[in-house]
Amino acid sequence: MSVREVLGEEPEVAMAEERYRVIGEILSRVFRGARPLTLSDLLDKAFLNRYLGIPIFLTLWWALFRFTFDVSAPLSDLIDISFSRLGEFASSIIGNEWWSAFVSDAICGGLGGVLVFIPPIFFLFLGLALLEDSGYLARAAFVVDKILRPFGLQGRSFIPLLLGFGCNIPGVMATRTIPSERDRILTICVNPLITCSARLPVYVLIAGAVLGAYAPMGVFTMYLLSIVLALLMALIFKALIPYFRKGRRAPFILELPDYARPTLRSTLTHMYERGILFLKKAGTIIFLGIIVVWLLSSHPWGAPLDQSYIATLGKWLEPLFRPLGFDWRGAVALLFGFIAKEIVVGTFAVFFGLGEEAEIEEVQRSIVELGVFTPLTGFAFMAFTLIYIPCLATIGIIYRETNSVKWTLFTVIYGLILAYLIALLIVVIGGLMGLG
Amino acid sequence: MREIEVALIGNPNVGKSLIFNNLTGGRAHVGNWPGKTVEKKEGRCIHKGVTMRIIDLPGVYSLTAASIDELIARNYIVEERPDVVVDIVDASNLERNLYLTLQLLELEANLVIALNKSDIAESLGYEIDVKGLSELLGVPVVPTIATVKVGMEELKDAIVEASKRGVKARVRYREDIEELIERIGDILRRDEDLTRKYPIRWLAIKIIEGDEEVMRLIEERGLIEELREVIG
Amino acid sequence: MERRLSELNPGESGIISRIEGRGEERRKLLDMGLVRGTRITVVRRAPLGDPIELLVKGYNLSLRLDEAEGVYVKPVE
Repeated sequence: MSVREVLGEEPEVAMAEERYRVIGEILSRVFRGARPLTLSDLLDKAFLNRYLGIPIFLTLWWALFRFTFDVSAPLSDLIDISFSRLGEFASSIIGNEWWSAFVSDAICGGLGGVLVFIPPIFFLFLGLALLEDSGYLARAAFVVDKILRPFGLQGRSFIPLLLGFGCNIPGVMATRTIPSERDRILTICVNPLITCSARLPVYVLIAGAVLGAYAPMGVFTMYLLSIVLALLMALIFKALIPYFRKGRRAPFILELPDYARPTLRSTLTHMYERGILFLKKAGTIIFLGIIVVWLLSSHPWGAPLDQSYIATLGKWLEPLFRPLGFDWRGAVALLFGFIAKEIVVGTFAVFFGLGEEAEIEEVQRSIVELGVFTPLTGFAFMAFTLIYIPCLATIGIIYRETNSVKWTLFTVIYGLILAYLIALLIVVIGGLMGLG
Repeated sequence: MREIEVALIGNPNVGKSLIFNNLTGGRAHVGNWPGKTVEKKEGRCIHKGVTMRIIDLPGVYSLTAASIDELIARNYIVEERPDVVVDIVDASNLERNLYLTLQLLELEANLVIALNKSDIAESLGYEIDVKGLSELLGVPVVPTIATVKVGMEELKDAIVEASKRGVKARVRYREDIEELIERIGDILRRDEDLTRKYPIRWLAIKIIEGDEEVMRLIEERGLIEELREVIG
Repeated sequence: MERRLSELNPGESGIISRIEGRGEERRKLLDMGLVRGTRITVVRRAPLGDPIELLVKGYNLSLRLDEAEGVYVKPVE
């Protein structure tokens, strides 16, 4: 007797059936009961209701979003302020000028730059753990799966993408709820295209300076562009990259576990583990990055910013950005934006000799007076800011979460190329239309 | 002090991480499985003079190697041969959970079952004959309620006990299937190296199912010709 | 009479008679307990009509309609 003679053409199916037959036999002897109507079923009548399902989903997401970013904001501010105070204090007691600047700007600035991410990450994982442990997260994926499917994404991709609007770091970390490796990496790769809250001040600055009455429209366009590009790139990657294309489509077979009351201990443990992981892995990369930028922007020692190494680099890169209409200041602002979008506005302020704490209106006036941007190149600069990699911290976390240099580089490089192409497209098409 | 290696496994949503926390006191080393993005948690538990190194395997429904999680879990059990494997079973969802249990028995893992969420099973009106279940599967079954730490001492006792005793369980399938397993096993046992490294019964079942990973292994070993007659 | 699982309305039940398709998708269905002879009930459709929620072996799971298409059932009362 061969396998085929005993089990037919599909031995795999026959073995699965045999296992379930044995289980049935065991249960018939030791188990009594039938599933009654549970509280969980009743809750689902509301949470998964045809009309209520989506509004409830949106409300809960919104609550998570506000919880993650609003509740943590004062704590982040506190950390930020504490470290700049600490820096000031350190520089006041250190005699040597270089060492004083190194300790206050590089070390304290670097530590602060890492630790400000801790509150949103802790709160995000607190919120996510609550949603997951309660059983709702699976339902959320069930509700939105259909919307994301045409783009090669799936129901569980939704929350990471939406969190990206607050900050891409928790967005990327939240992909841990996606069990399929392929879907997860795809969701990570397009997450930086979601415009995080740190990019908003850049849009506001540039749009306010050069777009006049169209400024709000310009900012809104960035949000629209962000969503369109994220979905579009997911579609393109899925179609063109062998890793995503070749993989057999991961079936979306999702258990909807009964609702349960989350336990405080497991929720807190979850939150703590994630926070520590972030500190250990992504934190070191961000910290080192900030120190490198400090070294480049403050050396040769004593030179003004426009003669620093980073400005030299900017001037060296200027020809590359000339087709987009950005001068070396635009190039340097983008270089700084690599570290964190939060410092782009401050960079412009320093260029105009206004100091980092300058009022936004003053900076905007200088942009217009000095002709740094036309409305068209300004808009292109906004698009570039939107698309190229959000910040060093995001690169750190992408590396950490994909565990792959290849995917990290891929995300950085496609972002740069796409940013350049879209900005060029804006300038060229706008030029042809007689704008500019 | 004696040190043993204990792997935790179970379906998703069975309360595995809670049991892990209960056993390790929440002190865990979190990392990744080599080269993978899947999280690996390790912790320690000292009980009655025995140090348990506790490894949290990914939550899986099956061990067919269809996903990275399943491959990690199964390779760990096959290659590392942990002293005890704790299979956490959701008492309120017994039928589907036992599917994984049966596959763990095929792997000849030294199994202890934690019958978790037994409070929920009770509230649903389910009656489970724990002793009977343990006898039919041939492995110890410990009812637990991880959310309130019920059954944890008993579970630790059962783990230590099992580590001294070794494997004795064996679920039997239909007679004609058992014959196939026996015949394939006889051929495999000619390869001594293979016999040392892998549970033969499991390999035989995987060969019957045409499992890709195992078929590749068999081909590497040059056993495919000898098996041709049986697998057709 | 045999029908596709995707054609059942919410509230309707059937006994699985066969599963079409190969590879990962079917293997996953088998693992989740969708084997021949198993009773399965369509609980509801998602708010946007797809995927669907099923009750099988005493638990709930969700399948996309195109995945449910390969599952054939004999309807029961």
